[in-house]
Amino acid sequence: MTQAAATATAASKIYGSGDSEVRALDGVTIAFEKGKFTAIMGPSGSGKSTLMHCVAGLDSLTSGSVAIGDTQLETLSDKELTTLRREQVGFIFQAFNLIPTLNALENIMLPLSLGGQEGDMQWINTVIDTIGLRDRLEHRPSELSGGQQQRVAVARALASKPSVIFADEPTGNLDSKTGGEVLGFMRRAVSDLGQTIVMVTHDANAASYSDRIVFLKDGKIAGEMTEPNPEKVLDYLKHLGE
Amino acid sequence: MFSLSLKMSLARKGRLILTSLAIILGTGFLSGTFIFSDTLSRTFDRLFTDVFRDVDAYVRSTNFIEVPFGGEQRAGTPIEALDSVLAVPGVKDATGDIQAFARIIGKDGTPLGSDNGPPTFGGIASASVAGLWNIEDGRLPNGPSEMVMDRSSAEKGDFVVGDTVRVNAQSGSREFTLVGIANYGDISSPGGATFALFDQQTASEFLLKPGFVDAFLIQGDGTMTQEELATAVNAALNPTLKLETLTGAQIAEETKDQIGAVVGFLSTFLTIFSLIALGIGCFVIYNVFSITTAQRLRENALMRAIGASRKQVTTTVIVEALIIGVLGSILGFVVGIGLSRGLSALLAAFGVDIPTSGLAIRGPRIATTIIVGTLVTLFSAVFPALRAGRVPPLAAMRDTAFERIGSRKFRFVIGAVIAVIGVAAHVAAAAGVNDWLLGVGVVCVFAAVIIYGPLIAKPVALMLGAPLARRSVTGAMARQNAARNPRRTAGTVAPVLIGVALVTAFSAFAASVRSEIRSVIGDQFGGDYAISAPQNGFGGLPIALSDEVAALPEVQQATGLGFGTVELDGEGRFVTVINPATASGLVDLNMVQGDQSKLSANGVVVSNNRATTEGWNLGDTLEMKFVDGTVKDLVIEGTFIPNGFFGSYVINREAFAGTTNSLFDSIIYVVMKDGVSEEDARAALGAVSEQRGLGTLQSREEFIDAQADQINQILGLIYGLLALSIVIAVVGIVITLLLSVFERRREIGLLRAVGMTRSQVRFTVVGESVITSMFGAVVGVVLGIGEGLALIGTLADDGIAAFSLPLGSTIVILILAFIIGVIAAVYPARRATRVDIMQAISTT
Repeated sequence: MTQAAATATAASKIYGSGDSEVRALDGVTIAFEKGKFTAIMGPSGSGKSTLMHCVAGLDSLTSGSVAIGDTQLETLSDKELTTLRREQVGFIFQAFNLIPTLNALENIMLPLSLGGQEGDMQWINTVIDTIGLRDRLEHRPSELSGGQQQRVAVARALASKPSVIFADEPTGNLDSKTGGEVLGFMRRAVSDLGQTIVMVTHDANAASYSDRIVFLKDGKIAGEMTEPNPEKVLDYLKHLGE
Repeated sequence: MFSLSLKMSLARKGRLILTSLAIILGTGFLSGTFIFSDTLSRTFDRLFTDVFRDVDAYVRSTNFIEVPFGGEQRAGTPIEALDSVLAVPGVKDATGDIQAFARIIGKDGTPLGSDNGPPTFGGIASASVAGLWNIEDGRLPNGPSEMVMDRSSAEKGDFVVGDTVRVNAQSGSREFTLVGIANYGDISSPGGATFALFDQQTASEFLLKPGFVDAFLIQGDGTMTQEELATAVNAALNPTLKLETLTGAQIAEETKDQIGAVVGFLSTFLTIFSLIALGIGCFVIYNVFSITTAQRLRENALMRAIGASRKQVTTTVIVEALIIGVLGSILGFVVGIGLSRGLSALLAAFGVDIPTSGLAIRGPRIATTIIVGTLVTLFSAVFPALRAGRVPPLAAMRDTAFERIGSRKFRFVIGAVIAVIGVAAHVAAAAGVNDWLLGVGVVCVFAAVIIYGPLIAKPVALMLGAPLARRSVTGAMARQNAARNPRRTAGTVAPVLIGVALVTAFSAFAASVRSEIRSVIGDQFGGDYAISAPQNGFGGLPIALSDEVAALPEVQQATGLGFGTVELDGEGRFVTVINPATASGLVDLNMVQGDQSKLSANGVVVSNNRATTEGWNLGDTLEMKFVDGTVKDLVIEGTFIPNGFFGSYVINREAFAGTTNSLFDSIIYVVMKDGVSEEDARAALGAVSEQRGLGTLQSREEFIDAQADQINQILGLIYGLLALSIVIAVVGIVITLLLSVFERRREIGLLRAVGMTRSQVRFTVVGESVITSMFGAVVGVVLGIGEGLALIGTLADDGIAAFSLPLGSTIVILILAFIIGVIAAVYPARRATRVDIMQAISTT
């Protein structure tokens, strides 16, 4: 296996106890490779979002361990976790990605500004040119379309050159055309800029932009696929459902 | 629909409590004032009913003068008439009564009771059953060297029967042997006053005038009604003595009324401040409803979408207001009970022993509190409720709550119209058209600023936040958050703004008065030392003291200055009383005509304003009537330019010769001989004044400072009462921040997810809070200084010409506002840092 950007080892997440016990994650072990675009798929309640949140350090495991690069997350304090998120991890959410009181550029620079860093301006300019919103940098989120907002979110995730970017249904709120644009940018961020992305999605079309798909079912890994295309993915999902 | 609204409101207990806080505090102050003044008047009612229990008839002089600003001074009653009263059939017993100034000097040489505390009386203790005092220990005083004092003073001064006690009174300072300790009715001392009691003859010559008492207390033998007895007594009185007879019930009633007037004034004063607090509470309630309806936008839109009418949506908000109003007012009344106890405890701490038999809690007061509180809440909720009803059903699809400012143009025009009216009223008031225009002006200008609030909120918040924004991205976010909802920010700021503006205006006014007093006293007072008596009570320094001081070997010159009440030109007036023989160089009137040092015993010097208005000329005569009915014609012997200290009339102290009008000096000005050291001067002057419990000895500088600082006492009281309004304003900021944090929890969650630390989150909330409170403080200070200027401009005719900026207190206010901003943010910031990232960013 090539070097991993993030790993989960025997990761379990249990909600409730006794009869009402729900095993959202049930002993998942997985590594997300550096410089690759990985998609996590699975039906509702399969634990795909929980896996992502736990690996990203947003949520904690009941048992098992997760690591970003060489850093084990379980032992980190809230402050260390925050710093790790700011410097090593990028996020793209389905909606409500941007702070309404800040303009596009300020939103992109936010993780860097929070850490009091200047950032690599050459890199940031490259990112901004890649998302193609140079003429919109002074605009507030309310003045941008949904697709533009998500492109700003992608840029923000890229700005600090994180070890890994997690995306949670980044195109869930977009129509297929603008969604395709956003996914295209994510693809280029991996292929051209050498970034690492882990994306949770239930959309076969979105998943087909990735290098590798991991399928989850009932909190366990049900299989995986490399070099996906939409037909292959849909076919596999049909099997998974049976 | 009503029950549904009820259910929806009760489901949000946290918000109910938050909103109620403002109304609880506002109505609490109001009901506290009610209960306190009710308790006070009931206490005095009972006390005087008790005290005059055995008095069936009351004889007093018909000569009296109405004192300016209320009250009266009545002439003495000649003791010789007592025999004719005792001879009336049906009179069982009768005795003279005196209530005059006397101060008991403690064993350590300091007077009992503070200068600013309750009055210190001298009176008569007699064996008569009609007397007011009961001897508890020892016996009645007999002869010119014996006295009795009230039990409370004896305890305070650690006196026992047999001690030698020094007492100061109008006629001077004397030592007595304490032969007894007495109770007033059933209590040790009414209202914390001190009493030195003597036999009638001693009391008359020491406290009043030989041969006179204030009144006769008469007890009947039970064969006649009080009315019959009073009529019989009155018929027996020599008509040339100008006496009248009241029944015991009448005098008790009259005394109660006099106290009632004082209590009434106090309660009016307190009520004004509780109404200010309620008004400020209005803004907080309005703001909370505005925010919560904005946050419930989707909920309300959903209701509309599934078929609720506008009216129904509006009703839910009104019902919530009704619940909050009623609940808050009831709780407010309970808080008021505590507050009134606090007020009583405060007075007790100042030595006012109010014998309360429980608090007076009256049904109508409870009703008033609840009705006022509920109406205020409903009134504050009307506009937010209407806005809630106007929500389009489509808004259910929108994401965040943003409040829109209504028509900016409309707001701008209305604000401008009101501002113009306000300024015009100020100008008219300053021009002297009518003083109530000042009130109209103040209200209009405040209203205009409040109306403009949402328009200026954004630019002002951005401007004030600029230094923060330059520091860090968190500062920039704090600044943007303070500016993002201008209406909300303006609503939060309004209470702070009003409170700060009032404090600043009072400070500006007080600072100006203070500097005016300083220059006036500095100008007219040329001495080295001053011996002064408190000018807020009655009594003062015996007039013989100034001559005694002047005779000291270290003293070059000394003169006494007093103030009296006489009826002059048909009206009760204060007159300044000087000793022209010694005044030159120490008390200098700015004479226009005539010579101050030649003021005769039958002369008067008037201010040139009065002379011009009345058309008086030198040589004209003014009729002056003294309290005892003596009438003298005074010749106008000069005019002077008034300076706010001497009033409009100055007479010679010799004018009082031969009357029973009590006369004291308020201040004695002293110039020392050359070469007398400060130490020697203080020792010599102190020996005759302070060490005998007479007045306070101060150097020129100390005296001027003390006079100028008198205004601080009033200011302190006003600050204290405004403090509650400030508390409500702070509660307003806390509530707004809490609601904003709740509303932005997803945003905060996102920020935490992308790497904002908890302390950065905290900083954002604190920054927003500080910007908001500073906004209120800065605009409030500007408004307050403007109003202070207007106030002084309007009152300039009364002798206050100079405006002086209260720089010190302005800086203190701004610093306080900063601290308040930080404190108000503590709890909301903690809530913000505890936002759960997972919950906040989950899309469901």
